[in-house]
Amino acid sequence: MSTADEKGIKETVRGFILSSISIAKLDDDDNLFESGIVNSLFAVQLMTFIEKTFAIEVGMDDLDIENFKSLNATTAFVLQKNGHPNG
Amino acid sequence: MDKSRGQQLLTEAQKGRHEEFKSFARLEIEPFAEQWDREQRLPESVLAKLAKRGYLGCSLPREYDGQGWDTVTFGLLNEALGRGSSALTDVVTVQAMVSMVLLKWGTTEQKRKWLPPLAKGEMIGAFALTEPDAGSALQSLSTGFTKNSEGHALLLNGNKKWISCAQFAEVFLVFGILDQRSAACLVPRDTPGLHIEPISDLMGFRAAGLAQLHFHDMEVPTANLVGKPGFALSHVAPVGLHYGRISAACSALGLLRGCFEESITYAATRNIGDKTVGDLGMIRSLLARMGTDLRAGSLLCHNACCAEDDHLPDVFEKTLMAKYFTSRAAVGAASDAVQIRGASGCHGSSPVSRYYRDAKIMEIIEGTTQIHEDVLGKIFVDQAGRIAK
Repeated sequence: MSTADEKGIKETVRGFILSSISIAKLDDDDNLFESGIVNSLFAVQLMTFIEKTFAIEVGMDDLDIENFKSLNATTAFVLQKNGHPNG
Repeated sequence: MDKSRGQQLLTEAQKGRHEEFKSFARLEIEPFAEQWDREQRLPESVLAKLAKRGYLGCSLPREYDGQGWDTVTFGLLNEALGRGSSALTDVVTVQAMVSMVLLKWGTTEQKRKWLPPLAKGEMIGAFALTEPDAGSALQSLSTGFTKNSEGHALLLNGNKKWISCAQFAEVFLVFGILDQRSAACLVPRDTPGLHIEPISDLMGFRAAGLAQLHFHDMEVPTANLVGKPGFALSHVAPVGLHYGRISAACSALGLLRGCFEESITYAATRNIGDKTVGDLGMIRSLLARMGTDLRAGSLLCHNACCAEDDHLPDVFEKTLMAKYFTSRAAVGAASDAVQIRGASGCHGSSPVSRYYRDAKIMEIIEGTTQIHEDVLGKIFVDQAGRIAK
């Protein structure tokens, strides 16, 4: 995957998060779960969005907060699930 | 769902299944539901009939011996069964909750071991989340999981309460705390240290086999952990509760249809002097509200089930709305159905007296009405905030 792919994934996820929770902006490394702005409903919504949008399946082995804690983390997770070596 | 409107949205296969489900409910459930309610138990024979028809594993893929039906069909099943007996439908609800959690978060070995018997109805599951002091406030769970010195086994201590189907379930999905993190594990019924105490004389769902579970130094293999510790309340339980809400929303819709059908039949045939009950304007007002709620609830349930089939992120919001609406509408409809029938509606010879008691439970299971209002209200306020920006 190219840098353009990575940027596309990040902006797609950013758009979903900003449309789902009430925050004005989201930086690439902002920690979603430490900030207290999200709840468990958002956690499963984000998971479902990622599965649907990027045609991947989040399974038991992927249950790691490091995979979803920020935009950068989520982008890397999607890249890795799609077989990108730098994901 | 409601034939006159919802059927237009269904495929031919879904319509055919719905007719099959309704026929089953008319023949095998409705004539016996009062007796089950009175005796506070479901006979093994009706559970065997559900199993034989594949209803207990209808949402699971065929590779695990399920039927592989879509969620719309699952909703239609719950609606049809809900018309007959909320207590029996609760078995389908809980079976789906346990099964879908395992399908999503189970290991390969766990899926191979547990899903086929659950799909075939050879094994009934129960979702052991609620505790005496942790209902809506799940963060207050106190059931403790500790690992033994070798790390191969978990020791469970604590209590669960209001667990549907626990009187006859063969496996329990138990939620608790392991090293200060939420965790979930499978517990077979025959595990030493597990004591099951039936709960009787409930207001509604009297045949659903509710029980308390008591764990005293109960040992289960760590291989029975479902999902990773730390994610049981954020990812594991929500999958089960989500399927539970889809099922409960559609079951409440079936109960609502029962109230409507019983009421319009009574209104059209019960004479008062030279008029029928249905000639009275005040009764027509009640029927108008009931019939309109039935159509609206049908569309909300269909909308939620389609969103689940399309794997849309807003499925959780749509399901919350469907369950919120149909459970509240069912309570109102059941109250009005009793009112329309007068004294005969207060007696066990009429199903509306059971509907009245069961409907209230619908507002409590899989998240109370107030929890739904809190979550949905926040979603709507957040949406308004984003629009304002």
